Amino acid sequence: MRKQTMKSLAVGLVAVFALAACGGSDTASDTTAAVVDITQPEPAGLACEVTDTGGVDDKGFNQIAYEGLLQAEASLGVTIEVLESVSDADYAPNLQSFVDKGCNIIITVGFLLADATKTFAEANPTVQFAIVDSNTSAANVQGLPFATDQPSFLAGYMAAATTQTGIVGTFGGINIPPVSIFMQGFAKGVEYHNAQKGTSVKLLGWDMAKQDGTFAGNFNSLDDGRNIAKSQSDEGADIIFPVAGPVGHGSSAFAMESGGKVKIIGVDVDMSVSNATQAEVYVGSVLKKIDAAVFAAVGNVLNGEGGGTDYLGTLENGGVGVAITSTITPELQAELDAITAGIIDGSIVAN
Amino acid sequence: MSTVDAVVAPLISAEQRKQARSVGFTLVVLGIVAAFVLGNRPGDAGFKLVDSYIFVIPAQPFARILALVLIALGAAQLLKGFGKWTNVVLSIAAATFVISFLAWAASGGSFSFTGMLQDTVTRSVPIILGAIAGILCERSGIINIAIEGQLLGSAFAGAVVGSLFGPWAGILGAIAMGVGLSAILAVFSIRYRVDQVIVGFAINFFALGLTSFLAARVLTEHPDYNILSPLRPIALPLLSDIPVIGVVLFTQTLFAYFAYLAVAIATWSLYHTKWGLRTRAIGEYPKAAGTLGVDVIKLRYRNVLIAGAVAGVGGAWWPIGMVGRFDQNITNGRGFIALAAVIFGRWHPVGALSAALVFGLAEAIQLKMSNLDTGIPSEFLLMAPYLVTLVVVAGFVGRSRGPKAAGQPYDAQ
Repeated sequence: MRKQTMKSLAVGLVAVFALAACGGSDTASDTTAAVVDITQPEPAGLACEVTDTGGVDDKGFNQIAYEGLLQAEASLGVTIEVLESVSDADYAPNLQSFVDKGCNIIITVGFLLADATKTFAEANPTVQFAIVDSNTSAANVQGLPFATDQPSFLAGYMAAATTQTGIVGTFGGINIPPVSIFMQGFAKGVEYHNAQKGTSVKLLGWDMAKQDGTFAGNFNSLDDGRNIAKSQSDEGADIIFPVAGPVGHGSSAFAMESGGKVKIIGVDVDMSVSNATQAEVYVGSVLKKIDAAVFAAVGNVLNGEGGGTDYLGTLENGGVGVAITSTITPELQAELDAITAGIIDGSIVAN
Repeated sequence: MSTVDAVVAPLISAEQRKQARSVGFTLVVLGIVAAFVLGNRPGDAGFKLVDSYIFVIPAQPFARILALVLIALGAAQLLKGFGKWTNVVLSIAAATFVISFLAWAASGGSFSFTGMLQDTVTRSVPIILGAIAGILCERSGIINIAIEGQLLGSAFAGAVVGSLFGPWAGILGAIAMGVGLSAILAVFSIRYRVDQVIVGFAINFFALGLTSFLAARVLTEHPDYNILSPLRPIALPLLSDIPVIGVVLFTQTLFAYFAYLAVAIATWSLYHTKWGLRTRAIGEYPKAAGTLGVDVIKLRYRNVLIAGAVAGVGGAWWPIGMVGRFDQNITNGRGFIALAAVIFGRWHPVGALSAALVFGLAEAIQLKMSNLDTGIPSEFLLMAPYLVTLVVVAGFVGRSRGPKAAGQPYDAQ
């Protein structure tokens, strides 16, 4: 009896951990199997990606990096693999397993992986790395930072121009540079509108002087996103810009519930497309074309280049942008175009 | 109970004196904080109660008066003691202190006080339901640390079933998942007598692994399985017309109303029905209850399964009551907070309710703080709800004792 109990417990626990392991890492195995086609007996290389804790299905940041990898698979003929990180304790083991697999390039998605990427790049000088949202940290690391303050500036200007209540809001996932740069640009855009038009639109959730504001403290709690949006709406905000990946979907759920009182600005991808069932709540999205950057990084490595350099996405090279998904007046459109030109020629500073 | 008290009276009063002293010191410390920290910012603080009315508190005088009152109360407590009124005095003092803190933070500005209280109630709903699930198990002698797993599993089931067949079916699906996970806990800990803490942990890992796996593999490819219209808040007729309270308590989703009911029913049943007496008996002295003819095994099974159903409704709160979809690890540790609420609430549903509200309030205040100019870093604000929970559990609860037989398998022989 006793022995049997222990045995069933052991079997049960092993099954549990097997499933837990699957949950973290199994997303790419079917795509890898599918890539071996007849026209290309020798794959051009093995491109691997480690996500942060958002996962490849976050309808944002990680997902679009993955799409860049899929493009590389389709047109550069590389084999791809992805490991999702469930917690920050997974970064190092995931990187190690890709190093052991002999990946030609390992793409790490996100600033949170910067330390781990640097450590592994220095320990494995023959492997090429690329890191999204961070500058190069070693001779074999391509940095893929984005000047997201530029499109956020445009979004902030647009929000200030279209708010009915005179109050707009923003919040972030965690106060780290690739998140706060959006909020800073947004705040600058609101401030620029106030200065140009003599308005006094108030911004909730980001204080430029203190470089601090409202944060969910994570990138996965949708109810945090809903609550922050509700809280800012209670204070009168009618346009909210969440910079927190899936957390922002909680905010869009609240915007749906508000019945048009609250509008959302999407982040990273055009959320009126990626989150189509709630498309009506998005007045626009700030785009960060991570897919293009990832694709370029893989291409560089195949050409024997890359490493030690940065690819910076800007309004000028189209690496960042704004998708406006609501009707705006032609005058506002003209002003936004003028600001875009001003940012590109440097006469307007977005951060 | 009263005869027992009389016999050990000297012992308890020593304990009580110690506790009374610490309450006195707490009041004095709060008073000093009020005088020197909360009293250092001049300016009026606006508490927006309804859209058309802002209640104004002059932050500095309020804090200074409060400081004097708190120190006087603390001194009275240390010298004489308030006896059975101690907790009432402490609660009122704490509430006033919180208001003074808010006035300090909002001085020179204003914020929506009613909205903050409404968030407090909304945020505490899954914690209340999770805690009731914990209490039902532990009162019958089964340690349930699997609350987190039950909430997460039912959130997933609620999202998928709800997306396919509508929100009401989703709630039923979530309940089924909660009961299913509870059945695992019950069978392993009652039938196979496995260490209940280990089974609980296994269920937590199982739920996290399985739902993350399915979310990544299935829900990503079939987004239609993961989108539904959440239930909107329902304003109860008449009750919701009461100013402030109507918005805070009676303009909520069905989940909140269910949580109020669950607390009331659990309290009444545990202390005023035959079932409650038997449940408490098998949690304290199962052998004695068994000797008197209570079917311990059967009652334990039944209670653990009921707990699973309650946790199931709690899990459905995320997709169906709030955000309309599931995301990996959406519960984000709320089940563990519920576990803390069980202990803080001394295994009593009303106690757990107040614990959940304290945590919900800390979270709601933290949200408001980040909009106000306080100079407190956001990282610290995010930590505050957990810190408050820790301080309250460690400092105010003192020694709390759980059901005696919790964690021990029952053997009829």
